[in-house]
Amino acid sequence: MDLPQPAPAPDITSAQDTGPLPNERLSPLGDLHDALGWIVLGLAIVVASWKMSRLEDQHINPLTIPGLVPGLLGAGMIIIGAILGLRSWERHRRESADTPPMTDGTAHLRHKRVLLTILLCCGYSIVLIGHGLPFWLASAIYVTGSILVLDRLHLAPDLHPFSLRALSHALLIGVGSSIVVWLVFERLFLVRLP
Amino acid sequence: MLNGLQDLGAAYLSFMEPMTLLYGLGGAFVGLIMGILPGLSATLAIALLTTVTINLQGNEAILVLICSYVGALYGGSRTAILLNIPGTAANAASCADGFALAQQGQAGRAIGIATSGAVTSTLFGVIFLATLTPLLSDIALQFGAFEFFWLALFGVTLSGSIVGGDPLKGWMMGLLGLFLAQVGEESLYAYDRFTFGWQELAGGIALIPALVGAFGLAEVLMALSDPVERKIHDLTDSVLPRWRDLFQYRWTVMRSGLIGVFTGLLPGVGEDAGSWVSYAAAKAVSKEKEKFGKGSIDGLMAAETGDMSSVPGHLIPVLSLGVPGSAPSAVLMAAMIIHGVQPGPMLMIEHPDFIYHVVAMTTLASIAILLFGLFGVRPMLQVLKVPRNILMPIVFLLCVVGSFAVASRLFDVYVMVAIGVGAYFLRRRGYEMAPLVLGLVLGPLLDKSLRRGLVLSDGSLIPFFTRPIALVLATITIFTFLLYVPAVRTAIRRVAALAGRNLYRLLGKGDV
Repeated sequence: MDLPQPAPAPDITSAQDTGPLPNERLSPLGDLHDALGWIVLGLAIVVASWKMSRLEDQHINPLTIPGLVPGLLGAGMIIIGAILGLRSWERHRRESADTPPMTDGTAHLRHKRVLLTILLCCGYSIVLIGHGLPFWLASAIYVTGSILVLDRLHLAPDLHPFSLRALSHALLIGVGSSIVVWLVFERLFLVRLP
Repeated sequence: MLNGLQDLGAAYLSFMEPMTLLYGLGGAFVGLIMGILPGLSATLAIALLTTVTINLQGNEAILVLICSYVGALYGGSRTAILLNIPGTAANAASCADGFALAQQGQAGRAIGIATSGAVTSTLFGVIFLATLTPLLSDIALQFGAFEFFWLALFGVTLSGSIVGGDPLKGWMMGLLGLFLAQVGEESLYAYDRFTFGWQELAGGIALIPALVGAFGLAEVLMALSDPVERKIHDLTDSVLPRWRDLFQYRWTVMRSGLIGVFTGLLPGVGEDAGSWVSYAAAKAVSKEKEKFGKGSIDGLMAAETGDMSSVPGHLIPVLSLGVPGSAPSAVLMAAMIIHGVQPGPMLMIEHPDFIYHVVAMTTLASIAILLFGLFGVRPMLQVLKVPRNILMPIVFLLCVVGSFAVASRLFDVYVMVAIGVGAYFLRRRGYEMAPLVLGLVLGPLLDKSLRRGLVLSDGSLIPFFTRPIALVLATITIFTFLLYVPAVRTAIRRVAALAGRNLYRLLGKGDV
């Protein structure tokens, strides 16, 4: 089938750009690492399924033991993982070993932003929520903090200097959005919030 | 037949209340906004709205969800046209021609074409939804454990093969989803599997938090990883629907509508398949092939009608078989179960009127998107101007609320975060989430059907391959796997070429 490709994406570092984000480029051996992980997971599932109780004391039909389907799925993971690994190894042999990695000046910044976002999300959902702090307050702290932190992690951080104005802007959005969500969910649609 | 028409009429009348209509418009509006925002999918829209509407009456809640489903797919075309980024996966085929038209200063026309195509094809699909669902329900009554086992495996296999570019990774995600569905108390003997003594895991991994993680948090991380804010293309011309274009390309609309409905019938293929297949078919028969990818109206019309008509198409297997065709329809099915409606072969017997209610809801959804297409395009595009650094933390806030609200358990929030972070890293490495979702939904069915089937056959595998429907499903499933083997693929190509040559000779066209 002849499928079209989206129009080529311009330079990612351009401020006026459009186009899809590039996917992470994997080295020819990238899938091999994944494959090893899948095989280990598959093996763990097969072993756990094998060790699972066969409910002999309940005299059940041996064909209906609880570990049957998980065991088969684990075996499937091992097989597909092995094929994935072999394919990756084959590609590695075919491609030149010294293929230069994709150079992307924003890679470091991307990783930093992802790491910080994960930390902020975990901090909000595990620490702030459900431990006595009112929902709207916990959410306001999270949204305000996220806006302030992410604005600083920009290609041109000077465009978003930390100032009283930036703080009040983030605070306004944080408090406003939290109160709106609280009102809509809890008051209007009677949904329980954490 | 007459009973069906009577039920259908009653269903339409039941929605003619101001509050119900308002719910429909609200659902479509939220769906549209979510669809417009790149990355936020129809799946996430339905999952979040499921929690908001949990205390509404069943039919009203499902109406909101169906309207948001249709709205999200329709909204996604705007982002494809103006940003060259598909708002939802189903709009990917619209990027090439939609964005090319925008670059030529015809962004408004492209949006108008998307509106007219979307409304017409959804209504076109609704006709099939009303007629095919009762027929398929009759056939589905003949399904037993053997058939349901193959149907579940077929859905996951097909989804893995089609979604994304790598069937191996797709199948791996399907297996992971099927495995995650085994966690918790199993259905035959109430035995706890893989719970490691955690009481919270006894009920299994809840679908809504898992989906919110896979499609919400993962997308928040994807969006926020990019330090560059993207600018939208200017919208200078009229965005009103182009009915003249619709009439001119009526055969494309009909063909793509049919393709969308029939790809929707296949379990696990997703809305994007309808869009891509329609696009390829339009290109194959077009007299202006060279324009495809460079701003072809025909191409854009095909892509938009193909994905929108697949929405009613996907609802058909959900209602008649209890097997979802795509990730959004999987959430919709979960929402129906939450509201006390069990989709599947017995639906036509237990709640025959519900199918016609869904038909009326989908019709209402297409009217809602027409209204927003006529009056709401420009105001709604303002949402694209909100910086991601502001928008995405608010989206995560909604993800937390959405995953908590179904069962009021903090544990579900932790599940959402764990699955979301995992999904982000898997997506970065080329693993798609749709097969995982299908696996999560179909896992219990596969487990129950295989073990029940083995009991019924006294341990023999023969009935899994000899009953007519099971045989058909087994053949297609095994063939889908075999297609990945290079030797089999080459042999199929050789046989197809030989058959083509012989047919050519038979038709008296001479040697090729």
